[in-house]
Amino acid sequence: MAEIAQDNGGKKGKSHQKKMTIRVDFTPMVDMNMLLITFFMLCTTMIKSQTLNIALPSNEKVENTENMSQASADDAVTIILDAKRKTGSFDVDSVNGKVVNEVYYYFGKPGGDAGMFGAGGTILSENNNMQKSEFLSNEGSGAAARARGIRAIIQERNKDVLKEINKLKADFRDGKIDQAKYDELAKKVRQNENLKKPVIIIKSTPQASYGALVEVLDEMQINSISKYQIDNMTRADSVMLIDFQNRHHGE
Amino acid sequence: MGRVKIARKSTFIDMTAMSDVTVLLLTFFMLTSTFLQKEPTTVITPASVSEEKVQETNYVQVLVSPEGKVWLTMNNDTSSAWSNDNMRMALLDRAAQIYNESHKNKISFTPQQKQAFSKLGSFGVPLAQMGEFLSLANEGQEGTTKMDKWLQGEDGNPNHVTGIPISWNQDEQRPNEFQIWMKAMRQSDNENLTSAIKDGTGVAIKADQNTAFDVVHMVMDNLQTIHMNKFTLLTALKAGE
Repeated sequence: MAEIAQDNGGKKGKSHQKKMTIRVDFTPMVDMNMLLITFFMLCTTMIKSQTLNIALPSNEKVENTENMSQASADDAVTIILDAKRKTGSFDVDSVNGKVVNEVYYYFGKPGGDAGMFGAGGTILSENNNMQKSEFLSNEGSGAAARARGIRAIIQERNKDVLKEINKLKADFRDGKIDQAKYDELAKKVRQNENLKKPVIIIKSTPQASYGALVEVLDEMQINSISKYQIDNMTRADSVMLIDFQNRHHGE
Repeated sequence: MGRVKIARKSTFIDMTAMSDVTVLLLTFFMLTSTFLQKEPTTVITPASVSEEKVQETNYVQVLVSPEGKVWLTMNNDTSSAWSNDNMRMALLDRAAQIYNESHKNKISFTPQQKQAFSKLGSFGVPLAQMGEFLSLANEGQEGTTKMDKWLQGEDGNPNHVTGIPISWNQDEQRPNEFQIWMKAMRQSDNENLTSAIKDGTGVAIKADQNTAFDVVHMVMDNLQTIHMNKFTLLTALKAGE
């Protein structure tokens, strides 16, 4: 291929011109190309970042609290993110340079119906309804997958919606509905007012990691939660968290 | 008595086909590649199941280091009217204008400094030092290295501040410098960018997964104060869920 055979025009005999073959050595060309390819391969970003959309409420103080939508204590689930602390201090403990995420949650109001504070602002530890959980992925895979940790708790609270969503997923897998139809129906299910849905309030201590926040927002997406918000810690939340950590010290 | 003649075979391997293949590959990589942006700090974004891709153009990236330093990048259209060059120059003017409204020490920039700003990817120095920073670009290659060092906070000069000044601030009338920049971004002539900022896809926060929530919360709170309540978080793809 890299050689050109020179033919002397089909004349036979007389001509003593030698047949010339011109060969071009392509090896250096290949070498150079390989170098360039290596350069481009190393300098490009093939995988693009994903994005997670969030919308936060405005910072302005709302004067009229009557029109605010209130979550009923029955539906409310508060998730509090924290980082693992060093024993006996508030410093963040890290393992291999990574912050260890911790997740706490409670249902309804802090301290239950009785509240966390007694007369004169005394703290009522016995009313602490906070529990600890973990970020865990599913146990097993495929149809036998079972949620664990905080995911299991969210799924238990959102089981009505998930039942409908799973039906749709099965239809989608069987090819009964296409992607657009699935998206439309799933949206309808998530917004269906007749189904019992939790309202999840995500709170975070200043020391908790940003990774934990993304992880908990992920859980909202995985478990088809339609109502969730990011909020600031209240005094009762902090008191409960510290109370819980003191009682379960060293576990 | 005939000697067996061994035909001498040439060891010449025809590389033409190989060359063809490599050129094809090269063309592929050249056409698909988007170069890694030089960033003042390296962060590992947290993994998420979200499958929405980041926009290629028309978004503002807010890079947050674990220490709480903030850098901004303005990515505009590829078209000539709303190109990075034009829009970034206008951005610097607008930021200076908003800054001068609320500060006693007025700032202004020379055309060369604006030119230098339009070539910058990420930026993150206080506006008061921006002039000095941009003048470094006149020093050629050496100056560019100095600028990179300054942006990374490694130039050893204690007077040089790295990162856009940011603080907890809920007073919209007295914006901090981060809010000044974001306001200037929102007032850009690039309609594609401003509409993207409005619907939330135009502002992307990029932070390390080990960054404390407090640091990211401050950035979010700053954005909320200037009514940019919708934005996106940059994440990496999580495998297997």
